[in-house]
Amino acid sequence: MIFYIPSDIQGAGLLDFIGDLNGHTNSSGDLSLDFSRLKRITPAGLVIIAANVLRLLRLERAVHFQGLESCSIAAYLQRMDLLKICGKSIPENFQRHDSTGRFVPVRPIDHRVDQMGHEIALCLAPGGEEYAQPLSDLYELIWYVFTETANNVRQHSGGLGCAAAQVTRSAGMVRLALADNGRGILRSFQAAGLEWSQHLTDTEALAKALEPKISCKGEPTNQGVGLTLVSRLAKMTKSWLLIASGTGMAQQLPGREMTFSQLPNQGSFAGTLIVLTFRQDSVQAFADLLHAAKIEAGLLQRPRISTIFKS
Amino acid sequence: MNLELPLSEDFGTHLSDGSKALEYRIARIDPYMSLCKEIVVDFTGVRHANSSFVNALISGVVEQHGESSLSILAFKGCNPVIKVLVEAAIDLGLQKIAGKARA
Repeated sequence: MIFYIPSDIQGAGLLDFIGDLNGHTNSSGDLSLDFSRLKRITPAGLVIIAANVLRLLRLERAVHFQGLESCSIAAYLQRMDLLKICGKSIPENFQRHDSTGRFVPVRPIDHRVDQMGHEIALCLAPGGEEYAQPLSDLYELIWYVFTETANNVRQHSGGLGCAAAQVTRSAGMVRLALADNGRGILRSFQAAGLEWSQHLTDTEALAKALEPKISCKGEPTNQGVGLTLVSRLAKMTKSWLLIASGTGMAQQLPGREMTFSQLPNQGSFAGTLIVLTFRQDSVQAFADLLHAAKIEAGLLQRPRISTIFKS
Repeated sequence: MNLELPLSEDFGTHLSDGSKALEYRIARIDPYMSLCKEIVVDFTGVRHANSSFVNALISGVVEQHGESSLSILAFKGCNPVIKVLVEAAIDLGLQKIAGKARA
């Protein structure tokens, strides 16, 4: 079966793409992905393809890439390491340059989440690892969001995860995407033996995962605040946040409340996808942002306790 | 007896893994809560941490040992983000105690 990857995978096209790709990956037999029409793709589109291809390969399904010779962004796909992570190889007719400040190629999420978070944050916010630098707050936000979500991928998805990111210099937009091909949020709750999850839909499970103190891993390992705070931080930075898992999706448009629905076109994502897009200049004073996010989520109710801190 | 826990020596400069924090808490903090007058959790050299790590490290101690644990625990070398994380972790532990009392 051939799946023609559409020309434009970004914004609303991303949701259609998830549904269309899922329809083809769920069929039996070999799958050929034809890239000849593809002209624009965001990091989210890249990790969606990577997670799906890796899932099919794990199921011992053959996946072929075709149409790359006539794809106008084939070199970009190579530079973003989409082909590499999918085990495909074609000659590179370009020179690789340092990607610092521009993009993070598709990478598998491994056990080095702390270090990966540092590398990704440093790439998107050069110099931000030092205190009081222009991009320090951006670095801190990216590291925080990446580590909270990537540790979830590693610890309870039961699958392989990958991440990619990009900064567009002209618009100052940061795009961060993570996807895994694991069991998804609903089945993670169920696998953890959480009785109340037995009759939930994927959409209801997503809503539950964004409530404070709800964890797939269970106490005391985790207190279930990671995804909750990521969504609060997204709201405060006027980000676009998309979380898709199974047939459910949660979406927060800039300046709006989170909405929960089913993916369009009877779509489904086998695993969990998290996409965060925000303006670089929307991130200032990360400590204050985090403090406000904790208060809004009901996770910080007491006045500051200064006596416990020593200089 | 006082105890000082240098986290950057034990974990490095970036702390995100809640499961590692929990193991550390069980091995390095819980057994000493009744033995030490002061336990200083030293964040000096830690550039960044996330909620999962700090909650797993601290909330359970407060929940298990009660509000009096705040007269034993002290935190050193915290940057502004880590201060927020520590305050929220303590708050979470206290909220859990209050929740149990209401139940």
